[in-house]
Amino acid sequence: MKLNIIKQRGLWWGISIGLVLVSLVAMAISWQQLGAPLKPGLDFAGGTRLQLTRACVTTESCTEPLELADVRQVLGDQGLDSSSLQLLGEDQQVLSIRTRTLTVDERAPLQSALDEAIGPFDPGSTQIDTVGPVVGKQLLVAGLLALLVSFAGIVAYMSLRFKLDYALLAILALAHDVIITAGVFAILGLVLGVEVDSLFIVSLLTIVGFSVNDTVVIYDRVRENMKLSPGSHINDIVDSAVNQTLARSINTSLTTTLPLVAIVIFGGPTLKYFALALIVGFVAGAYSSIFVASSLLALWRERTGQAYSDDPGLAEAQPETQS
Amino acid sequence: MAKYRAWLGVILVLTIASVVVITQIPTRLGLDLRGGSQLTIQVQPTAAIPTITERELEAVQTVVEGRVNGLGVSEAVVQQLGNNQLLVQLPGVSDPQQAERVLGGTAQLEFRAQRPGTDQQLQIENQVLQGHLGELAALQATLPSNGEINSDTQARIDKLQADITASEKAVAALFELSTLGGDKLTDAIARPTSGTLWEVVIQFNSEGGNEFAEVSKAIAGTGRTIGIFLDNRLLSAPSVAVQYAETGITGGSAVISGNFTAESARDLEIQLRGGALPLPVEVVENRTVGPTLGRDSIQRSLYAGIAGLGLVLVFMAVYYRLPGILADIALIIYALLTWAAFNLLGVTLTLPGIAGFILSIGMAVDANVLIFERTREELQAGKTLYRSVESGFYRAFSSILDGNVTTLISCLALFYFGAGLVKGFALTLAIGVIISMFTALTCTRTLMFLAISLPQFRRPSLFCPGLTTARPDTVRP
Repeated sequence: MKLNIIKQRGLWWGISIGLVLVSLVAMAISWQQLGAPLKPGLDFAGGTRLQLTRACVTTESCTEPLELADVRQVLGDQGLDSSSLQLLGEDQQVLSIRTRTLTVDERAPLQSALDEAIGPFDPGSTQIDTVGPVVGKQLLVAGLLALLVSFAGIVAYMSLRFKLDYALLAILALAHDVIITAGVFAILGLVLGVEVDSLFIVSLLTIVGFSVNDTVVIYDRVRENMKLSPGSHINDIVDSAVNQTLARSINTSLTTTLPLVAIVIFGGPTLKYFALALIVGFVAGAYSSIFVASSLLALWRERTGQAYSDDPGLAEAQPETQS
Repeated sequence: MAKYRAWLGVILVLTIASVVVITQIPTRLGLDLRGGSQLTIQVQPTAAIPTITERELEAVQTVVEGRVNGLGVSEAVVQQLGNNQLLVQLPGVSDPQQAERVLGGTAQLEFRAQRPGTDQQLQIENQVLQGHLGELAALQATLPSNGEINSDTQARIDKLQADITASEKAVAALFELSTLGGDKLTDAIARPTSGTLWEVVIQFNSEGGNEFAEVSKAIAGTGRTIGIFLDNRLLSAPSVAVQYAETGITGGSAVISGNFTAESARDLEIQLRGGALPLPVEVVENRTVGPTLGRDSIQRSLYAGIAGLGLVLVFMAVYYRLPGILADIALIIYALLTWAAFNLLGVTLTLPGIAGFILSIGMAVDANVLIFERTREELQAGKTLYRSVESGFYRAFSSILDGNVTTLISCLALFYFGAGLVKGFALTLAIGVIISMFTALTCTRTLMFLAISLPQFRRPSLFCPGLTTARPDTVRP
C-alpha cells in the first residue's frame, strides 16, 4: 500500500474539515437545546444520582422488569417530578434516578419510599453520587485547566525537540482530534442522552497525549529523511515519511484499540463511554497524524520558502546515524 | 553475548521479585472497587469568620476526625483538600446516611456542671468507658491491613461500639445541661508550665465569662467537676479549687491544669478550638458504592484486562512472528512489573486506574511495534539480521522517547489538576508508561539478541515474512 498524501491533500483536508464542521454544528445545536456544547453529567452540573438494584430474594421476584411509572409516582409524592429515570441491566432490575442535589435528609425518605413501593432493593449494590454545584464547577475548571496546561507543555516540549512550526501544526492536529471526539459525544448526547463527566476530560487528555505521539513519530521520520536526502522536495520527503511509518501507525492504533474494545464489551457502564471516547479520539488522531499534520507541514514549508532547505540546526538535533 | 546473559539475569530476578511482591503485598483497592463512602466536607465561612485559614481548617479536621472515630469505621481517612475542604474516606461503611448526618453537623461544645452526688458514679462510668475504648483500640491495632475482617471480630467491634455509645450517654447524664457553649469560647491555647508539664488556657467572651463564673462558683470546692463536652462526648472534667467559692472564676479566662503532656495539651487545645468554631460544615460531595457493586466492577475489569491483553498478544505473535512472541513475553513481564509497582508504591487502584492500566498495555507494545517496523525496513534494505535488529532499536529510540514524554506531560497535568479518581488514572498510566519504556528497551532487546545468537532462530524470514529486496520508494541511499 502506498499513500499519496500530498497529491490528494484536498480530499484529506475535505474529510477533516467536514468532520470538524459536523462536530461544531452538533455542539452548537446542543448549546441551543441544553445550554452547553456537551450534555453535562453529574460531575459538572451537580445533583444526586441514586442507583438501586432490586434484591432478588427468590428468583420469581425478578422476572418482571421494574415499572418506571411506579417510580414516577413515588418521585412525584416526594416533589421530585423533574428527575430523569433510567433502567439498567439485562433484566432491567437496576434503577438509576438523577435528581437535583439532595441532602441526606431529603434522600433518606426517598430511598425508604422507593424501597417500600417498588423494592426491596439490595443495600450492597446501592450507589449514591451527590455532587454539589460548587464542586461540579471546580471539577470542570480543573479539567479544562489540565487540558490547556498539557497543550502548552506539549508545544514547549516539541519546540525544544523539533521546531516551533512542527509544534504548532501538531497542536492544530490535536485540536482536530479533540473537536471530533467532543462532536461525537455532542451527537450522542442529543440522540441517546449520553452525558460527559470527569472521565471524559480524562479521555480527552489521554487522546492529546496519545495522538501527539503519532504525529511525533511521523515528524521524527520527516526530520530524519531531510537529513538523509538533502535537496529533496519537502513534498517527497513527507510522502515517504508517512509511507514508511504507515504500518506502525496502523498497528499501534490497532493494539491500543483492541484493549479498549475489550473494555467496551466487558467493562461496567462507567468505563464504557470512557473507552468509546478513547476509540473515537485515537482513530481521529491516527487519521490526523497521517493525513493532516504531515501535509500541513509540507504546505507550510513550501509557502515559507523552505521546501528544499535542510536546516543545519535541525540536522544537529538528530542522533548520528550509523553507517 | 555475556552482556545479554547478565541482562537476562536482571530481568529474571525482577520478574521473580515482582511475583513475590504481588503475592505478599495486597493491592490497595479504591472505594469504588471495595465499596464504601467518600465524602467531601466544605467548611462554610460565617460573618464572624469570613476567611478559613489553616488554623481553622485544622481545628475542624480534628472535630471531624473525632466524629469519624465515633462511627467506628476501620481504616477511615480524613484529609485536607484545598484550603476549605476535607476529604473523608469510609471504607465498607454500613450506614452511609448515618455517616453523612453525623459528619455534616456543626460541632457542639458545652461546659456543663456535674450533678451533685455523682462523684463515684462518674468515676465508675469513666473507668468502664476507658476500658471499652482501650479494648477497641487494641482490637483495631491487630486488624489486617487489607481491610478483611472476619465476622466474629466485626461482631465484637460492633458490640464495643454500642457499649461505648451507651457509656458516653451514661457519663453525659451525670451533668446538668447548660447554655455555655462553644460560641462563647473565644480561644484555647496550650502552653508549658514548670518542667515538662503543660496546661491549657481558655478564654470566653464577656457573656461567656459571666456564665463561666456562675458555673465555677456553684461547684468550687465541692469535688464536683465542670464537664467539657464536644458532640456529647466528655473531653475533660476539671474541678474548681475552693478559693473560688465566693465569686467563681471571673475575668473570662481560666486555666485547665493537670497531668498534661505537650501532646495531650495540644490535643485538648485543638478539640476546644474546633468546638469553639461556630463554623458550619456541609457535605458537598458524596460518592457511595455498595460492596457487591464494587466486587462486580473488579470482576468486569479483570475480564476486560485479560481479554485486552490476550487480543494484543495474539496480534503481535501473528503479525510480527518471532519478534512478536518475544514482545509478548516482554509484555507479560511488563504487566507483572507494573502490578508489583502499584503494590509496592501503595497506589490505590480505582476503576479509572484499572482503565489506565489496560490502556497502558496497548501503549506498551507501541515501542516494540516501532522497533520491529524499523528492523523490517533495514532487512528489506539488504542489511544483515544482526545489523537490522541493532539499528531497529537505535533508530526507533528518539520516537519512543518523544512519544512517551508527551504522554507523561498529559499525565502530569491530569495529576496536578485532577481530583480523586482522575489522579488515580494519571498515576497508573504514568507508572505504566515509564515501566513500558524499560521493558521495551531492555527485555525485548535482550530476548532478541539472545534469539539471534542461536543458529536455529537466525533466519530473516522469522523476522520479516516474504522478505524482498529494498523497496523502490525508500529514500535511504
